This record gives sequence, C-alpha cells and structure tokens, in this order.
Amino acid sequence: MANGVETLISPSAHGRIGRRTAIRAPRLRALWLFCRKKPLGALGGAIVLAMILMAVLAPWIARYSYDETIRGARMKPPGAQFWMGTDNLGRDMWSRVVYGARISVTVGFGAVLIAQALAACIGITSGYFGGKFDLCVQRIVDAWQSFPFLVVILSIMAVLGPGLVNVTAALGVVGAANASRVIRGTTISVVQNVYIESARALGAGHLRIMFRHILPNVAATIIVLATIGLGAFILAESALSFLGFGVPPPYPSWGGMLSGSGRAFFLDAPWIAVYPGLAISMAVFGFNMLGDALRDALDPRLRGAAGRVR
Amino acid sequence: MDAFASNRFRGVTRRDLLKAGLAAGAAASVEPLLAPRRLHAQGKRGGILRVRGYDPPHFDPHQTLNFKTNTTLSFVHSKLVRHKVGVAPGTFTVEPDLAERWEEPDDTTVVFHLRRGVRWHNKPPVNGRELTAEDVKFTYDRFLTEQQNPLKFMLDPVDRVEVIERYTVRFRLKEPFAWLLNMLANPTGTWIVAREVVEKYGDLRKPESAIGTGPFTLERYEPNVKTVFRRNPTYYRPGEPWVDGVDWLVMEDAAAGLAAYRTGQLDCGNWHMWAVRQQDLESLKKSQPQLGYRDWVSNVTQGIYMRSDKPPFNDVRVRRAISHAIDRQAIIESVYIKGEPTPAIGRGLTEWSPRIDQLGPGAKYYRHDPREARRLLAEAGFAGGLKTQLTATPGYGIDLVDAVQLAQRQLKESGIDAELKLQEYGAYMGTTFLGKYEGMAMGPFSIAWEPHSSLYGMYTPEQPRNSSHVADARMVSMLKQQMRTKDLEARRKIIFDIQRYAAEQQYYVYLYSVGVTGSWRPHVKNYAPNSSFDYGNRAAALWLDRS
Amino acid sequence: MRKYVLRRLLVASASLVIASLGVFSLPRLIPGDAVQLMLEERAYGKDLDDLRAKLGLDRPIYVQYFDWLGRVVRGQLGESLWTKRPVIEELARRLPVSLELGLMALCFSIAIALPVGIIAAIRQDSFADYITRSLAIVGLSVPGFWIATLAVLLPAIWWGWSPPIQFTEFSVDPWAHVSQFILPAAILGLASAAAIMRLTRAMLLDVLRQDYVRTAWAKGVGERCVVLKHSLKNALIPVVTVLGIQVAQILGGTVIFETIFGLPGMGRFLFDAINQRDYPVIQGINLLIVSVVVVMNLTVDAFYAFLDPRIRY
Repeated sequence: MANGVETLISPSAHGRIGRRTAIRAPRLRALWLFCRKKPLGALGGAIVLAMILMAVLAPWIARYSYDETIRGARMKPPGAQFWMGTDNLGRDMWSRVVYGARISVTVGFGAVLIAQALAACIGITSGYFGGKFDLCVQRIVDAWQSFPFLVVILSIMAVLGPGLVNVTAALGVVGAANASRVIRGTTISVVQNVYIESARALGAGHLRIMFRHILPNVAATIIVLATIGLGAFILAESALSFLGFGVPPPYPSWGGMLSGSGRAFFLDAPWIAVYPGLAISMAVFGFNMLGDALRDALDPRLRGAAGRVR
Repeated sequence: MDAFASNRFRGVTRRDLLKAGLAAGAAASVEPLLAPRRLHAQGKRGGILRVRGYDPPHFDPHQTLNFKTNTTLSFVHSKLVRHKVGVAPGTFTVEPDLAERWEEPDDTTVVFHLRRGVRWHNKPPVNGRELTAEDVKFTYDRFLTEQQNPLKFMLDPVDRVEVIERYTVRFRLKEPFAWLLNMLANPTGTWIVAREVVEKYGDLRKPESAIGTGPFTLERYEPNVKTVFRRNPTYYRPGEPWVDGVDWLVMEDAAAGLAAYRTGQLDCGNWHMWAVRQQDLESLKKSQPQLGYRDWVSNVTQGIYMRSDKPPFNDVRVRRAISHAIDRQAIIESVYIKGEPTPAIGRGLTEWSPRIDQLGPGAKYYRHDPREARRLLAEAGFAGGLKTQLTATPGYGIDLVDAVQLAQRQLKESGIDAELKLQEYGAYMGTTFLGKYEGMAMGPFSIAWEPHSSLYGMYTPEQPRNSSHVADARMVSMLKQQMRTKDLEARRKIIFDIQRYAAEQQYYVYLYSVGVTGSWRPHVKNYAPNSSFDYGNRAAALWLDRS
Repeated sequence: MRKYVLRRLLVASASLVIASLGVFSLPRLIPGDAVQLMLEERAYGKDLDDLRAKLGLDRPIYVQYFDWLGRVVRGQLGESLWTKRPVIEELARRLPVSLELGLMALCFSIAIALPVGIIAAIRQDSFADYITRSLAIVGLSVPGFWIATLAVLLPAIWWGWSPPIQFTEFSVDPWAHVSQFILPAAILGLASAAAIMRLTRAMLLDVLRQDYVRTAWAKGVGERCVVLKHSLKNALIPVVTVLGIQVAQILGGTVIFETIFGLPGMGRFLFDAINQRDYPVIQGINLLIVSVVVVMNLTVDAFYAFLDPRIRY
C-alpha cells in the first residue's frame, strides 16, 4: 500500500498536507490522501465497511431473528416497530436485511476467496512455468471460459443441490477462469524481471520464488480483481435466486428476498423488494467504486497525475 | 333394472345438492349448482380467445402424464365420457361424450354405445371420416400396451376391449371396478386417437399428429410461444364452439402474465386454471372490479409424508404429534391467503371430501396443540425432542418454500428439530418423490378428480406413489372393497371411512387445500371455470360478446 | 501470418475437443436422469430400464461419448429425449432469437459505453468523470431481472401498457418483431455497458500516455483529433477481445430475459433442458456456444495479428 500511495503524493501537495493537518502517522496520511484524491473510491470503501460492520454486528443491531414470524404482523409497512416493514410471512425486514448482509458477505467473500485462490494457482503456475505446461493449461482454461457462465453454474448446482456452501463453491469455481487469465498476464510480465532470474541462479526453489517474489507483485492485481468480483458475485447470486438456484431458505439472502417474495408481492408491499434491492445496489456500487479506485492507486500506469488530457 | 342403470345419466339429484352443499359449506363463496346446460343454448359466434397455455413436451397422450400435454390435447380430442361443463367448480360429474349411453350386463363388463355421425378432423390421413368402435378399441389397446405409458395403472383392472358392432364397444374387466367411468372421464391420457395417424407418423409426438374429434383443430404449433387452435366445423355438439379459435399462449413468468391480463392482452386469468394468484388478487379487484371472479378450493392436497416403515415414524404417536405441531391455519393465512385444512381427499373435490369436523376421532389431530404434541412425543420415548430432516423442492414454486419454512418453525416449537433439505426438482422427482428419502418430506400430492387414484396409489404397498411406505392391511382391504362397490352411496361411505382411518393413523399428515380464484374479462360469457385439465370443453362452451 | 493462423487453429481445435468432453460429461454428473423425470411418479422399475435401453442410456459412458462425437462430426446433433425433435431444428429456430437479443444488447452497450468511457478518460478525475462513471455503475448494480420486472409491471399499472406477450416472427410483422426486442435488449445491455465503459476508459488512459500521443499534443493537434484519430483505434483492440467474451456470456445468460419477456430463445431452452436432463439438447447447445466462442476468439486473434505485427505467439 505504501508504494502505491507514494505515487499519489505530488510534490506540491506534500508540503501543504504536512503543514495543514496534524496527521503524522504515514499510514493514516496515506488513507487521508486516498480519500481526497479518490472521493468515489473512499465512498465505496465506506459503504463496504458499513456492510461488513452490519454483517458482524448483526445479532446486536437486528431487532428480531431473521426467521421469526411475528403473529399478526403480516405485510406491515415500515413504521416505528418494524423499521423496514414486514414480509408476507410476518418477518421483520430490517432484521432480514441485516442478517442478509452476513449471507452476502459470506457468499461474496467465500466465492472470491475460492475464485482468487484457484485463479492464482492456475495463473501464477501457468505464467511462471510457461512452455508446454502453459499451453495445455491455457487450453483447458480456454475451454472452461467459453462455457457460458449460466450453464456451468446450473450444472454444478444441479449436481450439488441447493445449499449455502454449494452456491459459494459454484460461484467461486466459475469466477476463477477469467481472473486466472489476468493473473497469468501479470505473472508473465513479472517473470521477465531480472531479479527472478537472479533468484533462480541463487538456487531458490520454484515454490519459494512463486510465493516470495511473484505473489507480492501480483497481489495488486488480485486485490482489484477480488474487489470487483465481490460485486459480481452478489449480483450473480441474485440472478441465481431468480432462477431458483440461489441461497436456499431460511437464510435471508438479499437476492433471494428480491427475486422471491419481493417480486411476488411488489404491488401490495413494495418494501419487501425495495430494501434488499437497495442493499444489493449499494453493495455492488461500493465494491466497484472501491475496486476502480484501488486499481488507479495501485497500478501506477493508470494514475492521473501525469499525462492528463486537460 | 340392474344396479348400475341408475347411474346412466348422472344428472344432478337433490341428494347430491345436499351433500355438495354440506361439503362446500366452508368454501369461500358458495354458488348454487348451475342447472344442466341445455344443448341448444344460443351463444354469439366469433372472436379469438386468448389465454394462458402451456408448451407440451410432445403430443402423445400414451407416453406422458404431463399436464402440459393433456391440457393442450383437450382442445383437439374427445373422450368416451367427460366431466360435465357448466357446473360449480369442484364438481366432476361424468356425462356422455363420444359414448351416448352405456350399460353393464354383468359385474365385469361395460358396453358403450357410441354417438353416430362423429367425424374426425378434416386432415390427412383421416380426412374427416366417421368415428367407429374400432377407433375406441385401437385407442385403449394402445393405452394398455404402450410401454412408456405412465398412466397404465389407471386402467389396471381392464382386461381387454372388444368391438361388438360399428358403434358398440365392450370393456371386459378382470375384476369389478366401480371407477371405470371416472377413469375414462379423467382428462389425462384417455383421448381417443385414430389408427391411421399412428401408422402414418409412428407415434403421436408431433403436432401434425394431434388429430381428434374435439371442438378445435390444431392449426399451428410454435414451440415455446403458442399453439393456435381453430374451430372444428364438423364438431358434434350443435353450436359449439362459439369462438372462431383459441390462442393458447405460453407464459412462463407470473409478473409478465399478470401485466398481460391487466392490460387486456389475455381474456382470462394468467395463472393455472385461468385463475389469478391470491397475492395479486386484491390489487386487481380494486383497480378492475368489473372482471369476472369465482372462488373455489383446489382439489390438490399438500402434506407431509414420512418413512412410516422405520423408526421413529412407525410409531403412530409420533405421526400424530407432527399433525398437532403444524398450525395449518397460520400457514394458509401467511402464504396462501385462502384455503382450508383438508383430509385425505382435497377439499376441492366437494362430493368426496368431508369437512375436518366430520372425521370422527381422527379430527382432533388436526388441532394445533404443541403441548399435546410434546406429550405424545414423550409417550413415544422422545421426551427430549426428535431430530430428523425435512426435504422439499423449490420446483413447485416459492409458495411451497415459504410454507415449508413456516412448518419447520412450527415443528421446532413442538420439539421436532427438522433440518431443512432443499433438493433440485429433477433430483427430487428421481429420489424423494419415489420414496427414496430419510425422515420427512413436504409437498403437494397429485391432483385427482375422483378419490380412487390418489388413495389407491398412496396406500397400496409397492405402488410408486406410496411415498410414506404405508403397509396397512386394513387400509388395503378397505381400498379393495370400495373398488368393487357399485352403489354410489355405499362407496362414498367407504371412502369417508378410509379418510377417517387415515386421519387417525396420520401416515400422511394432510395439511390444506388452497383457495383458487378464477377470473375472466367481462366480454367472456357462459364460462364456467373448473379445476381440471379439460380446457377444451370449457372453451367450447363459452362465447365472446363485446357489446 | 499464415503459420500464425494455422497455429491458432490447432490450438482452437484442442480447446474444442477438451470442451466437448466437458460438454458431454457435465450434464451426466447431475443426479436423477431423464427417464425418471419422464415417467415421474408412476413408473415401475421395469419400465424405467426399458426406456433407458430404448434411449441408449444404458450403454457405458465412453461408448455413448464416442457415438455422440462421431455423429457430431457428421453434423447430426441427435434428437431431444423428450420431444424427439432433432436438436438442430430446435437450435436453428431459437438461435436467431438469442442472437438478435444479444446483438441488440451489445449495440446498446457500445452506444452507451463508448462515449461515456471516452469522456471519463479524457476528463479523468473530474466531475464529469465521476458522474458518468457513477451512473454507469448504478446501471450495473441493480440486478437485471429486477429492472425488467419493474419495466413490465409498472407501465401496466400506470399506463395500461405491457410488452407484447406473443412472439412475432420477422416474416409476420418486421416492425413488431424488432420492437419486441428493444426493451429487453436495453436492460440486458446495461450490465455489459459498465464493463465495456470501464475497460474503454482504462485502455484509453493507457494509450493517451504513450509517446506518440505526446508528440501529437506537442505538434498542436486538436483534442478531438488526438483522441479519435490517433488513440481510439489502438485503445479499442483489447476492448474487442472483451466483446468476444461478452457475447459468450450474453448467449448463455439471456434466460432471465427470455423468461420475463416470453422470447423463445436458447437460454430458456437450455435452462429447461438442464432441468429435464435432456442430454442431447444440453450437449448440442453447449457445443454450439463453445464453438461460437472459440471461433470468435480465433477471429479476434487473427484480426490482432493482422493489425499488430508484434503479436506472434
């Protein structure tokens, strides 16, 4: 992070910051500069943070359990007792949205973890070893990538059956193909550096080189891919819910709420759809903005300081 | 006069009215049974009826039981006998169709006399020739021998079909079977087909081979889009069909379908049975009160089935506890809005389904009573509660999934910790529905228009639909007895006894039958909705009048 | 050049073969088979086995695979297990619908994404950049099926209008045929638009930093000329690659829109086939999509080689 932020600090701004504010700690200063330079990214980061907090603090900020049906409170509009109203089974929407953050965070981060881990393995080894190995692996990745995402997901879900873990795994596996390509591209450019050759000359094993030298340099790419992937996975889960293959009840996933009861009762109780829909949109918006900003910050080629066209 | 002659013309007797009235007492809106429709009612000719339809996997009635095929075929085909049109929903009275009358010379023989002058559609290879007894024999021979016919069991007791004369055909049975006529009237697989068509096309899967004697001809089939039916000019019921044709439109999405109905692109409700979903009904009624609406109760039951051949569910106390644990009314109110708790036969089958309070000692198990449930469980040795699993599939729609979640919570309150296991529809049909599961499962039981097929299939050992693995000798003997009982009243008494016994034993925990509301636009006249696949005959009887 | 194309062709064929294996085996991993579904609840054990034998599903897997592969090479994709109609016939009828939807969606995407991406790049980090980027991301953040649902339900209530429920062929009414795609294509295109926009912006930013662009600035060439004439073409090359991937995604991912708007396309066909375990149909569609993508990638690679003599690998 420190590396990337240095590039954000243009000589003229440096002195101003040092004099105007009392922020001494370099990390905090980096954060502050990030917010100033990339306000959209900062906004995105704030949204992401809020979502994670919501997920973590769910049992304390929710007022009921997510599957608790309150007798006599069917389809109540938002009010004092039910901040976001109730759904068709008499469950408090606020609690369900809050716990839904947990599900989205779990599915999203879980899928991203699987996807990036797979992609990194494939991409780094393929890019590092090159030659015949690379050729073969890339053919398989090619074949894998040409399958339409829906087909693969549906097939995997049909094989595994509905389930929270299954959805996460399916999404992760499908998302790995594209990411591995990008990581391979970055790996190839890293491998061409001289210090890799020298490390090999010094007798470093393959694994050591991959972990200690390549991975840190590819990390930036992975982070950006991960952030944007999070948004994509949340959307994908809601599309799957629409088709009947999403996170199964009783888990309250935002996508499930939107595509199920939200859609069915939209005319009578729009709040059942509006709040989960807003939650999804904001989460995806946040992840994308953050990812964009991180990419700008961490990839010095794309920063705006030099070469701007104005 | 032989015992069966009294059933020759099943018009509406006063006794039926009374019974139907009692049975339908709890239904949402009770309408008097319409008088039997006069054959020469004057309707207005013209217009195309645009309605929600289905895309059949294929058109062969002897190779599937899929409702999409049978509903589509109901426009182009006729049966020997049919369910009366123009009656209150839930009434399934058998009346003549291709057969004008019938008699029973003895216990195991039924002779049908066919209508004369019935012509096949004017399409090759039949080219409008007359229908004869040979066609009936050919149809039922194929029905009984076609390897892939999943409906064969319906006519298990039939030994063979013989032609006596040009318009007379005889059914010989292996044993007395009181339900033969009802089976022949069921709108699944009983459509009369022609030999030349099968010989020309090899089978009846192709749309070109959908040639029958019904009120409409199949003019055009566009897969996944629509089927276009046009009036059969040589249809044997005078005046019918009044409309020039029917556009049977495929509509997968409920929201789009509702929008289409609201904006007048559909003439009747966009949901199954040309109804409107209960969830959409209120706002529709508010904004468009001028539409036709008719309430009835579905003849499908939803329930919980379980491995009653293994512990812990082989203990009747555990099964009764489960029934006590479920709050049927709460599920109806929350999920389906309208409906009724049901015995073994769906409440929508008004003539055969008693009210819960008429079920005798078994009725008390329908009471929502978590304390009693716990007590029974403790008696059975599960004082600390019971751990098991509950399987269901989202393939039947989200309503069922909502209901299952509620049921799971209710079970938990009574000490039954059921882990919810959702299966994909295909996997569900291949395993759980065929009885390969552990613990409990929840879902709809099949639709039926008479009590025999569902009861027989669900309580006879070794039948594929015996999902609860029931092996109860008393039940089997009662079932066999009612099959043989010719007298309607005596049979009804046995059917009621079977349901009382079923309520006591709770092999299947029957939950409810949901409320259905049919709807149609004001210019659709003389339309009598009903919950069967016989859309064709209902469409033939109505007319469009936009004046 | 020719050797390069030949090599790419070889590579593409290898991908196709591997893909065919995947295409064949993936649906068969799914539990529950077509026969059980066909006979649903009323089948007896003997009937299931008989039907399986009749459909050739009882032979060993590798026999079925090579049999299928042999027929594919000869152009026969087999028949649907359910409807017995030839798969090719069904595909020929449904592919144009999905293609039309996809292509129109892509046009909408490009029409939105290119201008927005260009503006965002040349006015980087400015207010206009933020606004346009935010709007694009908003379009991406709302699930497609939700926008489609609103687009169907709300006009019905407010104005008494709903999209046509009957699918009209081009031969019957050209204008009605095209207009029924407009709404779903626009909504479908929104999602791709954001991806393409972001890529355009990034690529254009990259190109604008190149030395030859600086030279153009130094020479005093106007902004419009620099951007459009010198930079855009180079920036768009990778964008074209991404388009190829987008087409694949769109081809397989139209099922939601086909369901909501009642369009008889391949997405819905495939979805139903998976649910019904109709193996020949699943295999046929998968193979088709995979082939289209591989061919498209091959074309793009050849195009690359044509444009940029440095690319040779």
